[in-house]
Amino acid sequence: MAFIDLIYGRLLLVTGKGGTGKSSVAAAFGRLAAAQGRKTLVVEIDAQNPAMKAIYGVEPNYKPLEVAPNLFVANLNWMTNLSDWVGRVLPGGRMVKMVLQNPLIQSFLEVAPGNRETVALSKIGWLVDEFDLVVVDLAASGHALAMLEVPNTMVGLFPSGPIRKEGEKALELLGQDSTHLVLVGLPEEMVINETIETFEAIQSKVPQLRIDAVLLNKTSVPSLTAAEGDLLQALSKEVQSEEANEMLWAGRWESELEEATHTAQVRLGQELETKVISIPRLSHEGGPRQLVHQIAAAMARATHSEQLP
Amino acid sequence: MNSRLAQLVAEKKLLICVGSGGVGKTTMAASLGLRSARNGRKVLVLTIDPARRLANALGLNSFGNTETKIDLGEQEGQGELWAMMLDTQTTFDALIRRSAPDEITQQAILNNRIYQTLSAHFSGSQEYMAGEVLYDIVESGRYDLVVLDTPPAKNALDFLEASARLAQFLDPRVIKVFLGPVEDRSFLGRFMMSSSAVLFRLLGFVFGKEFIGDFSEFLKAFEPMYSGFQARHEAIVALLRSNETVFFTICAPNEPSIEVARYFSKELNLRGLGKGATIVNQVLPSKGESLDPNALLGQAASRLQSGFPPGTAARLLARLGSAHTRLRQHAHIERKLIDDIRSMMQRDDEILVEVPRLEGEVHDLAALDRVAGQLFGETKLEQM
Repeated sequence: MAFIDLIYGRLLLVTGKGGTGKSSVAAAFGRLAAAQGRKTLVVEIDAQNPAMKAIYGVEPNYKPLEVAPNLFVANLNWMTNLSDWVGRVLPGGRMVKMVLQNPLIQSFLEVAPGNRETVALSKIGWLVDEFDLVVVDLAASGHALAMLEVPNTMVGLFPSGPIRKEGEKALELLGQDSTHLVLVGLPEEMVINETIETFEAIQSKVPQLRIDAVLLNKTSVPSLTAAEGDLLQALSKEVQSEEANEMLWAGRWESELEEATHTAQVRLGQELETKVISIPRLSHEGGPRQLVHQIAAAMARATHSEQLP
Repeated sequence: MNSRLAQLVAEKKLLICVGSGGVGKTTMAASLGLRSARNGRKVLVLTIDPARRLANALGLNSFGNTETKIDLGEQEGQGELWAMMLDTQTTFDALIRRSAPDEITQQAILNNRIYQTLSAHFSGSQEYMAGEVLYDIVESGRYDLVVLDTPPAKNALDFLEASARLAQFLDPRVIKVFLGPVEDRSFLGRFMMSSSAVLFRLLGFVFGKEFIGDFSEFLKAFEPMYSGFQARHEAIVALLRSNETVFFTICAPNEPSIEVARYFSKELNLRGLGKGATIVNQVLPSKGESLDPNALLGQAASRLQSGFPPGTAARLLARLGSAHTRLRQHAHIERKLIDDIRSMMQRDDEILVEVPRLEGEVHDLAALDRVAGQLFGETKLEQM
């Protein structure tokens, strides 16, 4: 399957270390899918600062909001999600609802560990039924992993009852062929370390889930010949004025980014059995929405080159 | 020299670094700790980030749940630098061993399926343990300064709220409901018993009978420790609010990260927590002037050209020109963002520090020393 075909799945999970641009990548997937006429939702889970707000200029809410043709955004605010969940999942009797409205039980449900994740995953399952594609902009990798682990934990913990059923449903959803996961990384040593760690942790702790690709964001293509690089080093040793230093710094900075890209691609290729998609470093100048458009275009191009022999 | 910042590192007992991911928070925490240690204090840098990044920055392959001393080399008058990463499971078990009144209670908890799952698998337990360990370490007085590196943004507030959540989770009134009906022969007691029995049955319906059984057992085992959690929560909150504690917000010069920094700044005010400084990291070093590569470097380049293939100097200069144009564009966008947050900080008389982007990865002490030099305003770009 080509990278871009991920938009033809039903559920696409995007995560990665903080600061890698995973929200922009999630939004770019949403844009590409919507452009193909698929009714698409890009959803964040209880985000305090929803990234989609910066991108689309509207406050995403629990109820999906259409921001472009076929493209919706939402933010699964915890309290709304919980009451929705209680209404849908728990057996319907009036007594049960009364018990659950008991402030003590409410406060217990609010803080019981694993509840947030269970409730969010149930909701994502329902959203998948409502949309052609749901793209989830998950939390940063460590916490995304904690969330993806929850269904297995739930099934182990609850031998029976509605919560176990929700756990089983979530596991089934994660294991579907139409469910995909993309890890976003950057060509920086520490980010690559964490990307590899997260990849391996997901493989061992959530074996149901397949990781489809690592998207290496903000990459650079080599631009200097070896001789030009050597001359740059020689010049850097000689020249002392502040302005000249700034100019040489610009050159060294770009060379360093190029080298880091190469190192990252080699490491990911050697250490992980997955597709690595490189997206170039793009300008932020046009604002966050413009950046998403550019990433989407680069993602579409990345696919093309990948299909060439 | 940034004397206000230097004073914080010299006097406070606890620095907590918050901010979005990927901005060098761990590096900043390590640099602040290193500087304070170089100046003679005994410092511990504690990371609760799920990824083991601090080890990288300190040039260690790994360090675990124990306090590990970092070799600072020979230098007159310096203190000590220690580092530690939390392993939630081990720390949780240690907490149980310490708080359980006897061997039987201890084993009952450690072997309970719910305990094992809760302590190992749920997000939030890591943040909770951070509060626990932090409290123990600070209170032990073993260190002059503790620097805490928190997990990325969406969860940093979880860290602040973790102990409150545990205290709420283990609220004795909630526990009573889950423990099921208790024998009481009085009229009121019998009434309570029957309503409690109904409630208990209903909960079994929702959560499954087996789970409720396991859970009651878990809560019974925990019972002797309940009051401890509430007290502990209050102590942790008091520690975070203490005037020996300050929060540092770390961000990078891009819109989302600055937005998170603003948000933290507001939240810290609302919660009455002490603010240390806002650090804008990874700032591109450009004055913003348009520069001509030929005028600046033409002479030197043609002098050095001799050993290289023809045209190398000309091509390099053209390349530098365009690289510098891109640098200027990026730097220009950053400048606007930084000026914005700077004016907000100035209005509130808060400290804002810019740290330029370093060449190379920060993964040894020498690099951390250079970052510290930048933080405390001692180095200029051209000396780096």
